[in-house]
Amino acid sequence: MKNIAIPILIAVISIVMIVYLVTFQVRETESGFVTRFGKPVREVTRPGLYLKWPTPIEQVHKFDSRMRVLEAAQLAETTTRGNVPIIVNTYVVWRVAEPLKFLNAVKTEENAASKLRNHINDTQNRIIGRHSFGEFVNSDPTKIRFDEIQKEMLDDLKGPVQAEYGIEIKTLGIKQLNVSEDVTKKVFERMKAERQGRTDAITSEGEGMAIKIKAGANEVRDVLVNAAEARAKEIRGQGDADAAKYYKMLEEDPQLAIYLRNLETLKAISSRSTIVLPTDSDPWKLLMAMPSLGTEGSAKESATESQDTK
Amino acid sequence: MAHEHKHGHDHGHNHGAEPEQPLPVEQLDAAGKSLADAFRISFTILKIIMIVLIVAFLASGFRTVDPDERALVLRFGKIRGIGDGAILGPGPHWVFPYPIEEIVRIPVEKNINLAVNTFWYKETRDDILGAGVKPRNFRAEKLDPMVEGYCLTRSQAGGPVGAGPDVAAQLIKDSEGSDYHIVHTKWQINYQIANVDQFFRNVYVRDVKPGQIYSDIMVASIAPLLRSVVDDAIVTTMVHYTIDEALQSVDTIPRRVQQLVQGKLEVLESGIRVVQMQLVSSTWPMQVDEAFQAFVEASQKSAKTITEARTYAETTLNTTGGQVAAPLCEALLDPNSDPQQREALWAQVTGDVQEIISRAQAYQTKIVEGARASANYLRSILPGYREQPTLVARELYLAAIREVLANADEKFILDTSNKAKNREVRILLNRDTQLKPKTNP
Repeated sequence: MKNIAIPILIAVISIVMIVYLVTFQVRETESGFVTRFGKPVREVTRPGLYLKWPTPIEQVHKFDSRMRVLEAAQLAETTTRGNVPIIVNTYVVWRVAEPLKFLNAVKTEENAASKLRNHINDTQNRIIGRHSFGEFVNSDPTKIRFDEIQKEMLDDLKGPVQAEYGIEIKTLGIKQLNVSEDVTKKVFERMKAERQGRTDAITSEGEGMAIKIKAGANEVRDVLVNAAEARAKEIRGQGDADAAKYYKMLEEDPQLAIYLRNLETLKAISSRSTIVLPTDSDPWKLLMAMPSLGTEGSAKESATESQDTK
Repeated sequence: MAHEHKHGHDHGHNHGAEPEQPLPVEQLDAAGKSLADAFRISFTILKIIMIVLIVAFLASGFRTVDPDERALVLRFGKIRGIGDGAILGPGPHWVFPYPIEEIVRIPVEKNINLAVNTFWYKETRDDILGAGVKPRNFRAEKLDPMVEGYCLTRSQAGGPVGAGPDVAAQLIKDSEGSDYHIVHTKWQINYQIANVDQFFRNVYVRDVKPGQIYSDIMVASIAPLLRSVVDDAIVTTMVHYTIDEALQSVDTIPRRVQQLVQGKLEVLESGIRVVQMQLVSSTWPMQVDEAFQAFVEASQKSAKTITEARTYAETTLNTTGGQVAAPLCEALLDPNSDPQQREALWAQVTGDVQEIISRAQAYQTKIVEGARASANYLRSILPGYREQPTLVARELYLAAIREVLANADEKFILDTSNKAKNREVRILLNRDTQLKPKTNP
């Protein structure tokens, strides 16, 4: 057993070592290429297990092929068409697409970043210079060309960068859009003026609305009260008309009717009053002297007399 | 020495299948024998080590995926399986040990928050702790874009609402059509890893060093990418909205930002899903605080004035005609309205209007009833009166006078005979305090 085991062990170890020497792995997150005696022979951009000659003959160079973010180093002022100063900050998402080209052109990621930054700044200034400020911000939203500007920048940057450095630009965007410090002062002044205008507007608007609401209510009230009064007049008129029918019945003896009516009125208006009477009126005459009774004429006379006074 | 010998001997015995072996050992000299022993021992140790190594090698393939994680297996660097088949769920899994296979675990269930304060004003430590007297870092007139963050918003189309046409025209002329405002906004994004496969392949995550936790490194590595994409989406979105919409946190704003962010993340094949985008806070710059505060106050005051007017209107209508005041008025003003419906509304009316009408109705009743009563009375006494007019008239007269005098509070009877002709009479009339006040005579 000893005699068999040792060779097997040796064989296994040698196989592992040979496999290790002649293969290499490329992970999903990587891409790379193989050089033979320092000269690049093939690019490997798909993951998996690959064969190669042992190290002195062939060598493998691998790069992380995942996305990286890069933004312009610092905020810089640039000008739009029409010389309006503007501060933008552009970022790109990039990845190593062609490892060989990448190595030849820039070697390291740091170097790639600085090269890319120059490109971004250049593209940014050039493209923004072609557009007016009104295409970035505008009171009319249909005139805003923000997306188009970003796309234009991406198109401008994408081709050359891929051709020169083997870098693929996945996306590009403006992540900051500002104005210079001095301009903010003017903006604030305008904002204040605009706000002041709106403050006045909303105050008068509110007052106007309140007046309108109140006036509306008053109008409704007036309409209703007038209508009600008209209706009331109608009802009273109806009452008077109905009453007139009964007044017709009084015509059978108008004199008596008026007399009765006067008596009614006298009774109605004289309650709780102070009355001053002369002694020569009925029945106070009795206080002064006994009347002469027995003759019908005197009674009749006095009745007509009292009727006349009323 | 004795021990080693014993060991060797035991070993020989154990392997009884090779009986010839011990014999030559006996014949070897002491040096050769110990060399052979050493070989045998080292071989045994080697064998044990090998078995242990193989066991350890295989055991090292066991990995547990936590409930909030999903895992990918890389075989020779390439993702094993296709689509959903490549993703391992929670639980224990066995994979070939490195370098053949490798397991990558990625937290997916966790919602991760990222605060975006790029567009917020610079807060001092006092601002954050709330210790400062002034809540906000005040700068007299300007805003330094290197220090303070903000968004540009478009202004209201056609100038400010409600301002006169002159003001609007002037503002537009001043800005050459690109009138804009400055607003501070604070955001928060909540995201998840939705597509493990895409995420692993495309999104850069720093290597995890010993002592570090993968999810922490992952979150930190995603942040710059996500921040850039979110900032971009916010800048792009905000120029389409006005400052008022931003200040009111109109909910279409974060929705639009979310759509843009999600769209871009999909273009990038990042495997990241935005769960929620929130506009946490928005405010106007301190530099224009006074004007904006005044506006807010004016808005509130205006709203209050309107509310008061509405209350007045409601009360007026209610006291005038109750619930049906408005419909009745409408019906009255409309010449084509249905008279029947109008009558129905009159019947329901309350308040002042109803009072006017009921007073009229009361008058109607009274006048008619009074007239009828008088007529009936006349009729009832007429036959008697025709027979003896003087007596009846006198009787009626005296009855009336009796009633009048009975109801009188005070009675003065003056002598009118010649005896009293030149006498002056003075009567003190006391106004009765019980009488109704003068206002209602």
